[in-house]
Parts: sequence; C-alpha cells; structure tokens
Amino acid sequence: MTSRRQLLKSAVLGGGAGVVAATALGSLGPEAAFGAAAPDVEPGAPDPDFAEGRIRSIKDNTLLVLGSNMVFHNIRVVDGTSLWKLGPTSFDQARPGDGLYARGVRMPDGVLAAESVWLNIVNIKGHVSNITSEKIHLDHKGQEVLCHRVAGKSIAVYSDAPPSADLSLLRVGQHVQILGAWRPDTNEVDIATVFSPH
Amino acid sequence: MARSQPTDPPIDLQAAVRGEVSWFCCGTAWGPCSSTGKGACGTCNSGNLQHAWPNTSDACWAITRPDSCGFALSRRTCGFQHRITALCSGTSVVTSIADCGPQTDLFCGERSCCGATCATDRIIDLTPAAYSRIASLSTGLRPCEISTP
Repeated sequence: MTSRRQLLKSAVLGGGAGVVAATALGSLGPEAAFGAAAPDVEPGAPDPDFAEGRIRSIKDNTLLVLGSNMVFHNIRVVDGTSLWKLGPTSFDQARPGDGLYARGVRMPDGVLAAESVWLNIVNIKGHVSNITSEKIHLDHKGQEVLCHRVAGKSIAVYSDAPPSADLSLLRVGQHVQILGAWRPDTNEVDIATVFSPH
Repeated sequence: MARSQPTDPPIDLQAAVRGEVSWFCCGTAWGPCSSTGKGACGTCNSGNLQHAWPNTSDACWAITRPDSCGFALSRRTCGFQHRITALCSGTSVVTSIADCGPQTDLFCGERSCCGATCATDRIIDLTPAAYSRIASLSTGLRPCEISTP
C-alpha cells in the first residue's frame, strides 16, 4: 500500500497524478497525518523532516523561510498540505514575516514537501496577571504577553471538561497554558485554546 | 522548607507511566520563544528530537515537584532517552533530555483524554519537532505513555 509520505513525495516530484492522489487522501492533516512512518532519526538530533523560522518571501507554492539558526528552508505546499493560523487556514493567509513550524518530507533537492504548516503558533505557559473582557495578561517567564480573546475562535479547556467558549472561569494568579497565534513583531497573541488545570 | 525526593521506588523504573505531554520551544526562535535559551542542558533546540523531564537534578526537582501530584519520577539526566507514545494515535517518538520541566505541580489533577483513554498530570514536554511526530502542534496537550526505548 502506498504510504501518505510516498504520495506526498510524488505530489512534489511528479506532477498531476501525485497531487491528485495526495488530495484524494483527504486533508493530510492534523491527527490523521501522524500515523505516517517517519524515518529514524537519532534522539537528540535535528529532524530533517521538520523546519522552523520566519517567512522571508512567497513564490508560487513555495515558502522561503529563514530559520532562527540562520539556515534557509524551501517549503513546498501542495494540495493536501494542512495549514494552521489560529485554526485551519488556506495558503493565501501566509504572509512574509510570519513565524512557522513545518513537518513534511525532505526531498532530494532539499525542499521540504509539507504535510503540515503551523503559522505563528505558540504554546506558552504562565501566570495570569490580569484579565479583562477582551484580554488575558500572561506573565510568561517574567515577560508580559497580551493574549487576545477572538470571538468564535478562542476556547478554554478546563481539565477534561469539554472545550468551552466561556473564559470567565479563569482567575488572576492561576497558571495556564495558552495555545495561540503570535502577532508578528509584538508581544501579543490571539488565543486559540487556554488550558486550565481546573 | 527542606525538599527531598521520596524514598519509594520511582514508578517509571517499574513500568511505563502515563501522563500528559505538551510542547515547548527552545534554542534560537521567534516570537515569545525568542528569549527561551538552550535549556538546562544547554543543548535544547526546537528542531531537535528532545524533551524536558521534571527530575534532571535537585534544583530541577525543587521547581517541578511532580511528587506533589503523586509522581515519584526517577532522576534522569541530560541525554537520557525516553519513548513517548501518543495515546490518541499510537504513534511514538524516542527523544533525549535537554531541559528541566514541565512544572508538574502547577497543573496537578489536570486530565487529558482521547475518547475513554485518559492520562492525568503533566510529566513531559517535547520540542515542536518531537511533538509534531506524534500529534499536531495545534492540539497543544495530549495523553501519552512514557517508557524507555
């Protein structure tokens, strides 16, 4: 049976049929994509099928990304690539300056054929120092991060209770984890999920 | 107050242990992660297959205090390898220790589930490269099982 990774590779290498095949898998996305076998990498070592950095430019279906370690990555987005920016999104929402993490298949020419691209995603923990109706002020390692509630997007998960749009149970002084989308070049984040232990 | 490790046998020496797994950034990075640094071991990078463990040293244990949630996790130092299996997908990744964390005591009693399969308390954090091998980064938190490779 042809693996998801093989289909993704063929989508990049070979054109039409491969792209159709990858798309026919449905979204290569979030949970489903992670059953795909990845090559062995020595624990502790860099994962060649992963990239991080900020978008410098976008040409056709390729993101030119400068890694924080100053290494450039060419990240190819295909029909089946899953993109996230505060939630599932489309390729046209990617912007120069966005930070990203990407996972996919490294091609022989060094291009990363993307299974998933997460734009501006952050996952930070800290103490709630203040709450207003629109914002949570988070003390994250001594730095304030302004976390914005986004109507229709932001949810809270109180331990194992079902996700809720009601963030009013959060309290000043408690510790939370906030998954969200960074607003580039600011200390501000749009909230996707607040994880609260109670 | 004096803090010391419990004398009971650490549970992760006897069998695999279940708990919650999240992800964190380290090394050179963008956004709120830009000031994070290379972690307690000095080797941590978001793109590497690494993890944080709550008991890498006395100083680490004094911060994370997994015992306050009932976990007697054993001392494991920089470079030690664990296998982390996502209970949602069954996929696993082997990573090595590069930092101290998570701060287990601040989330005591928290529980994550996949259907009827649940795990309680935060006992490991993965780098984005490692976490994205077993789950989407957008999930943020997942139940997992931790064992030695």
